[in-house]
Amino acid sequence: MLAIAFDWSFVSENGDELFAGLLRTLEVSAIAIAGAFVIGLVLGAARAHRIPVVSQLAAIYVEVIRNTPILVQIFFIFFGLPQFGIRLDAFTVAWLAIMVWGGAFNTENFRAGFEAVPFRYREAGAALGFGRFGTFLNVTLPIGGRIALPPSINTYISVVKNTSLLYVISYQELTTTALNINALTLQTVETFTLLAVAYLVIVWTLSALIRLLETRLALPGEGR
Amino acid sequence: MTLPEWVEPVARYMFTEGLKGTLRIAALSLVGSTVIGIVLGTLLTIRFRPTRAIIRLYIEIWRGLPILVTIFIIFYALPSVSDQLRFDPFTAASIGLTLWGSAQIAEATRGAVESMPREQHEAASALGFGWVGRHVFVILPQALKRLLPPVVSLLVNIIQNTTIAQVIGAAELLETGERSVERLTAPPPIGPGEIHAFEIYAAVMAVFFLMSFPLTRLAAYLEKRLV
Repeated sequence: MLAIAFDWSFVSENGDELFAGLLRTLEVSAIAIAGAFVIGLVLGAARAHRIPVVSQLAAIYVEVIRNTPILVQIFFIFFGLPQFGIRLDAFTVAWLAIMVWGGAFNTENFRAGFEAVPFRYREAGAALGFGRFGTFLNVTLPIGGRIALPPSINTYISVVKNTSLLYVISYQELTTTALNINALTLQTVETFTLLAVAYLVIVWTLSALIRLLETRLALPGEGR
Repeated sequence: MTLPEWVEPVARYMFTEGLKGTLRIAALSLVGSTVIGIVLGTLLTIRFRPTRAIIRLYIEIWRGLPILVTIFIIFYALPSVSDQLRFDPFTAASIGLTLWGSAQIAEATRGAVESMPREQHEAASALGFGWVGRHVFVILPQALKRLLPPVVSLLVNIIQNTTIAQVIGAAELLETGERSVERLTAPPPIGPGEIHAFEIYAAVMAVFFLMSFPLTRLAAYLEKRLV
């Protein structure tokens, strides 16, 4: 039988530092999620309405990001771009790389959501005298946006989890902070228990939010 | 047009060492995830609270943790618990990816098994199959068809996530790329002192794109055909 003792004084000694790391994780996540939301909304609408040029460029963006590992994207931005004088600090790379990744997945979420809105709804909007933009704003967005919401929160959960990869550029978010503390204290069990619990609390809270929204926002007549 | 002198040895190193390492981790993790995931997912359909609760917890933990954190726990934390739990980077990464992947497949299997009509169970029982025989010979073979798209998307995700093994130093594609960048950057007596990070990381992205793109198309096609 393995005896694993948890040293509670570890929490009082390193809690503040870990909390600071957690806040940086949340900060980068919040910026990346806000950015990914805007990117997804705009490019998703452009894809669903087949707006020339923008739609094709968005498709290329989505396929490149979805089919290459985010870790390599981070390496490319942080270590590859400086070769041509594009030198970004760790914080900028942190939110930028994570946002670009989330934006690509969100574009697909919103595209699928908008395309799920029956065409006759759009025709009905036109019949009521709305222009193309008015129809989008009053018909496609409220209905398609609701359909896209649960999968987009799934993307935001992945966004939060992906911030752990910022360890490779030594950005002091939660994982990097925990690894530093581990190297100094060698209290491995305590460090990794707290690290895991912190991520699970964030991720499980967001998943619970999805389930809540799915029941609350179910479209009338198409309820589960 | 001839390629610059540095390209050939770097490319050979990255393909023979790196790509091989990537494919090794991916293959191990895919097989492990699929086998464990199908078993756990089928067991999850049994209406017995304790097994359900344990499997649910397994799924929610390994799906909830960032894969990097899981791999760190296996690589750094387990050896401090017991010396027998010391793994080399390849094994640690494969275990981490298997835990995560099996959680995904378990969830998909549960859905596929539960979508089988009751009559299939009843017919199999009438033929004298017990629980195991009923699932192995009747339910799962039919459920596998529905599992194909999620398994293919899992393969894409596993291939991409093998790069996380770089962080603990497994010689996969990204790691061999990084080592090549460093070797080329070293000043003259040791290396040529040239910076080629942009080309090398762009090449790594290109290789992953070439592996993933056909598979994402395949997954999309399979999904459409099944609906």
